[in-house]
Amino acid sequence: MQTAESQSVNAACWSCGSAAPAGKAWCDACGKVQAPSEGVDYFTVFGLPRKLRIDLPALERNFYRMSRKLHPDLYAQASPEERQWSLDQTSLLNDAYRTLKDPIARTEYLLRLEGIQIEAGRSEEGKPKDSRVPPDLLEEVFELNMQLEEMRMNRKMGEDDPQLRADLEKARTQFEGQLAAVDSSLESLWTRWDTTIDNDTCEPETDKIKDEIVALLDRRRYIRNLVRDVNEALET
Amino acid sequence: MAYSDKVIDHYNHPRNVGQLDKSSTEVGTGLVGAPECGDVMRLQIRVNPDTQVIEEAKFKTFGCGSAIASSSLATEWVKGKTVDQAMGIKNTDIVKELSLPPVKIHCSVLAEDAIRAAIGDWKKKNGVEEQAGSAVPVAAAD
Repeated sequence: MQTAESQSVNAACWSCGSAAPAGKAWCDACGKVQAPSEGVDYFTVFGLPRKLRIDLPALERNFYRMSRKLHPDLYAQASPEERQWSLDQTSLLNDAYRTLKDPIARTEYLLRLEGIQIEAGRSEEGKPKDSRVPPDLLEEVFELNMQLEEMRMNRKMGEDDPQLRADLEKARTQFEGQLAAVDSSLESLWTRWDTTIDNDTCEPETDKIKDEIVALLDRRRYIRNLVRDVNEALET
Repeated sequence: MAYSDKVIDHYNHPRNVGQLDKSSTEVGTGLVGAPECGDVMRLQIRVNPDTQVIEEAKFKTFGCGSAIASSSLATEWVKGKTVDQAMGIKNTDIVKELSLPPVKIHCSVLAEDAIRAAIGDWKKKNGVEEQAGSAVPVAAAD
């Protein structure tokens, strides 16, 4: 039995016995669908390194190519196991594609793979961690929310005041500008992250980049909410 | 996901919404946030300097119903307590009272953080030692 790196232990195809790299959806030798490997990650599904910049058109092409190959309709006459595996592989492929094609979902997913917990979820007994939101960001977000609320209230009470609408439009432009700024900072962090993968950079540096990405995603969620709220206010 | 009746009640009739004078030495302000969902919560307390009893509490929260209910409940609970007693309020108590589902537990954590932050701010303003052990904080004497 041959082994590659720690994570990708080669397995043998259940049908023809040839070595199939872990994570492959089908055997290259005989073309038979394989059972999904335990704990295979979305990057591996597409045979990609854990990088944040992704060639989206290529990802899409691969997705369609693999979907056609794994589609459950093709396995209507196959054994029950193969039918099940084609279902499992297709659903894994769909999840992987949906996550990787979205820049934010992809970034959050990579951080999770790297052991960083982003979602809410301190356990009930979990001790309060230090707030990781910088106080000045909280102040800023709180103030913006206050302004937005005032505009909304005024608008609800009175007639459609053109001045208020103009204020809200201005706020929207401002928030959208901030969101765009965050996204462009995020893109440069992607590049830095990918460079560390290429160069096999040591841990302190990669940890630093991960922390910066986490902070930026935190900021992004606040601003995204503001954009959403201002849009709602303008629609009603 | 359905909100419990208590959450809905606090959401529709939030207690103690508003603000206190941030610059007053009797007032402690806690501003905390949950980056996971983009919530921000401000909780303020006014402490009687002689008795250390929290006589007034106000909050303003931008977030979901559970976050608003948690902070509304927190202001109700801290009122009438000494700062030391208020430090004893746990997010798990809020979870129980409001029957928060697991996905909303972070809202209660946020409320607990807000209480602690407000008390911390008040202590800092009044030169009270931030120490877990000291039951009766010694007033800063000149």
